[in-house]
Amino acid sequence: MALRAQFENSNEVGVFATLTNSYALVATGGSMNFYSVFEAELADIIPICHTTIAGTRIVGRLTAGNRKGLLVPTSTTDQELQHLRNSIPESVKIQRIEERLSALGNVICCNDHVALVHPDIERETEEIIADILGVEVFRQTISENVLVGSYCSLSNQGGIVHPKTSIEDQDELSSLLQVPLVAGSVNRGSPVVGAGMVVNDWMAVTGLDTTATELSVVESVFKLGEGMGPGNVQGSLRDTMVETFY
Amino acid sequence: MQLTWKSIATVPTSQEFLDIVLSRTQRRLPTQIRAGFAISRIRAFYLRKVKFTEQTFSEKLGAILESFPRLQDIHPFHSALMNTLYDADHFRIALGQLSTAKHLIEQVARDYVRLIKYAQSLFQCKQLKRAALGRMATITRRLKGSLEYLEQVRQHLGRLPSIDPNTRTLLICGYPNVGKSSFLKSVTRADVDVQPYAFTTKSLYVGHFDYKYLRFQAIDTPGILDHPLEEMNTIEMQSITAIAHLRSAVLYFVDLSEQCGYTVEAQVQLFHSIKPLFANKIVFLVVNKIDVTRPEDLEPSRQALLETITKSGEVEMLKLSCHTEEGVMEVRNQACERLLAVRVEQKLKNAASGAAGKEVTDILNRIHVSRPIGGVLREAFIPDAVLSKKKYDKDDPNRPKLERDIEAEEGGAGVYNVNLKKNYILENPDWKFDKIPEIYDGRNVYDFIDPDIETKLAELEAEEERLQESGFYDEDEDIEDEEDAEIRTKADYIREQRTLIRNAARSKKSLKNRAIIPRTKGQGKKLSEMEEHIGGKLGFDTSGIAARARSKSRGRRGDEMEVDDGPQATKARNIERAKSRARSTNRREDGVTNEGARSTAEKLMKLNQKRMNRMARQGESDRHTTASMPKWLVAGKRGMGKTDRR
Repeated sequence: MALRAQFENSNEVGVFATLTNSYALVATGGSMNFYSVFEAELADIIPICHTTIAGTRIVGRLTAGNRKGLLVPTSTTDQELQHLRNSIPESVKIQRIEERLSALGNVICCNDHVALVHPDIERETEEIIADILGVEVFRQTISENVLVGSYCSLSNQGGIVHPKTSIEDQDELSSLLQVPLVAGSVNRGSPVVGAGMVVNDWMAVTGLDTTATELSVVESVFKLGEGMGPGNVQGSLRDTMVETFY
Repeated sequence: MQLTWKSIATVPTSQEFLDIVLSRTQRRLPTQIRAGFAISRIRAFYLRKVKFTEQTFSEKLGAILESFPRLQDIHPFHSALMNTLYDADHFRIALGQLSTAKHLIEQVARDYVRLIKYAQSLFQCKQLKRAALGRMATITRRLKGSLEYLEQVRQHLGRLPSIDPNTRTLLICGYPNVGKSSFLKSVTRADVDVQPYAFTTKSLYVGHFDYKYLRFQAIDTPGILDHPLEEMNTIEMQSITAIAHLRSAVLYFVDLSEQCGYTVEAQVQLFHSIKPLFANKIVFLVVNKIDVTRPEDLEPSRQALLETITKSGEVEMLKLSCHTEEGVMEVRNQACERLLAVRVEQKLKNAASGAAGKEVTDILNRIHVSRPIGGVLREAFIPDAVLSKKKYDKDDPNRPKLERDIEAEEGGAGVYNVNLKKNYILENPDWKFDKIPEIYDGRNVYDFIDPDIETKLAELEAEEERLQESGFYDEDEDIEDEEDAEIRTKADYIREQRTLIRNAARSKKSLKNRAIIPRTKGQGKKLSEMEEHIGGKLGFDTSGIAARARSKSRGRRGDEMEVDDGPQATKARNIERAKSRARSTNRREDGVTNEGARSTAEKLMKLNQKRMNRMARQGESDRHTTASMPKWLVAGKRGMGKTDRR
């Protein structure tokens, strides 16, 4: 199921939250509205952690994680790390990484099996990612954008990439990730799909501006809900998309 | 493209127009002339009045002309619709009259301005101004008809529905009273009037609905009767315009029950007569009122007649009843589906041919799903709790309490302070709110979270030491052998030479603050330089080259003339000639025949300067008048009495 939400009038949900199959991180804000969007759907299923990273609210861009682990940048304070450790289940490993590209959410895009990383990331970081998250790591770009985390949104069931990714690139990425991929947008045409939404295997949260067509593409490719499958994009949604986007 | 014209300003009647302009002239310009005004000032006063009035007139008329749409610039559908509603000729003439009036007024103003410039008195000026304004007013009064017509057009135009000719459109047409408006009312949110008599709908109505996440417009047209185009009235012509110009799916409604008052034959006949308008369009034959009569109930001859429409295979028959709502949605969906399919096919055909550029390849990217080759299954991890979880419903009174609800209870955002520790997952829930010191014994506690940190550090340090001792970090001394040394010196030499060449080229190129001297092929080299290089350095014989170069070079100037009387004579002659041709430089002797004439002229000059000198003038042009009676001495506030001179 896909939801629309807003964090303090911002549509960039992926900036202020991280969502995985075993936990969720949500930025502390002025009110509880954003937190409660997640709470309504995830309470009693996975823990939701209210936190800041390095004193900022852009937790979604600074952290990267999956079911098995969580990576936080070196600027994370000791207290925050302690808080995260207390809030997240013991089975999830948490690691603070010393990496020059400290917005880990922008440079790492991962599901529970595979991760795409920025081509310039350090070798040590690459090894840590493989160890902590338990994934295969590939250095890649998405339609010539090095910020793979910003331009790709990934779950175990599918993925969305930058809307201008060519078909060849999509096919290459898809065979690398072994999940179906489509090129799409969120938030009424925004190409930063990674920063505009969060997704796990059973739910997605996108910005409030996301159109019905975009949302149905999201639901189809991530298989959220009954009868949803990536085939819809070429089937029943095709006409709508051609009419909307061209 | 503009689809509605709601923002056209009101067009005043000719009288109002006149009042507006004249009162503006009155309000905005000075109104009084005093007794002592110079004639030039009076002229300027009236000139300004005339010019200002003309400006206001042309400004207002221009604004009206600008605000109305120009029929050749708008979409053919809108221009055809305006033609049927307002008569394009009439419209054009009305606007044309306004434009002519504008020109005439400008002409009048120009003429009278010219006259006022030569007016001799106040009275003359005033009369000329009156005449000018009067003529302008007469011109405006003649616009009465056009202005009234344009005002009516404006009011009607503002109320026209916003019809987008290029979007997805369903067009509903047919005989009067066959249930067109009922259909529109049942599929869209439009609130149209449905009455049981013919021509209830007298103009185009638009309704919108959503299908497949897309916005569609449905257009309800007035009923059409079966007679030739020339005999159709305005109401019917609107339908014809819509059918002819809109890219749409046409739903041709028929009423087989004949409750509408027209026979099935007549309805079929109408379809065939307006068929030419359906070219390149998707057409459906929609049978309405099937709660009364279904096509199967008809007698065979009429059924055959109905089949003449669907026979070609392009026209599909659909059935519905607006009364019982049977088949309404099916008809709508089928029509939309066909329309979408056709539009998408056309767009993708454009895309495939690459006619429309980059946008198109984007859409091809977006409707493509890349599926992995290789068949590794990426399993999803969906907890069982997800499947059994009850969907959150914010209207359910027994809904789980969210943080947001607690916040509202505790005083709202900004007041409520969430306790971040309450959701901690710890071995013992009692530990949740324990306080942990951050600094203890002068050390950061978090650095010692790991109980084995000391041993681990010791191990690391030991390893480091071992590595250092074993020479892991030592750099290998690189011993330079002879070969390397040679390479190095050569490399240095090459680098040096390169730098020299580069610097030479740069200094050659750079202008060093000198003016640019155009040379077609760089700076020439001297013969001596060439001789030195070829003969001296490279060891070739240069005598041949040098001889050739000398033979080609031009000799020194003047050498040819030495034959007659030697260089000295030539030079003297040249000087002489140059002198005779040059201007004489002594201007005292210039222009006079001899010394006598010169002294006479000087005497005359002195005589003429005498007066100027006496008057203390700087020259002829000095016309300065000093105050003969200084104002500060003669003008005073005190009139009578002795203190006026101080």
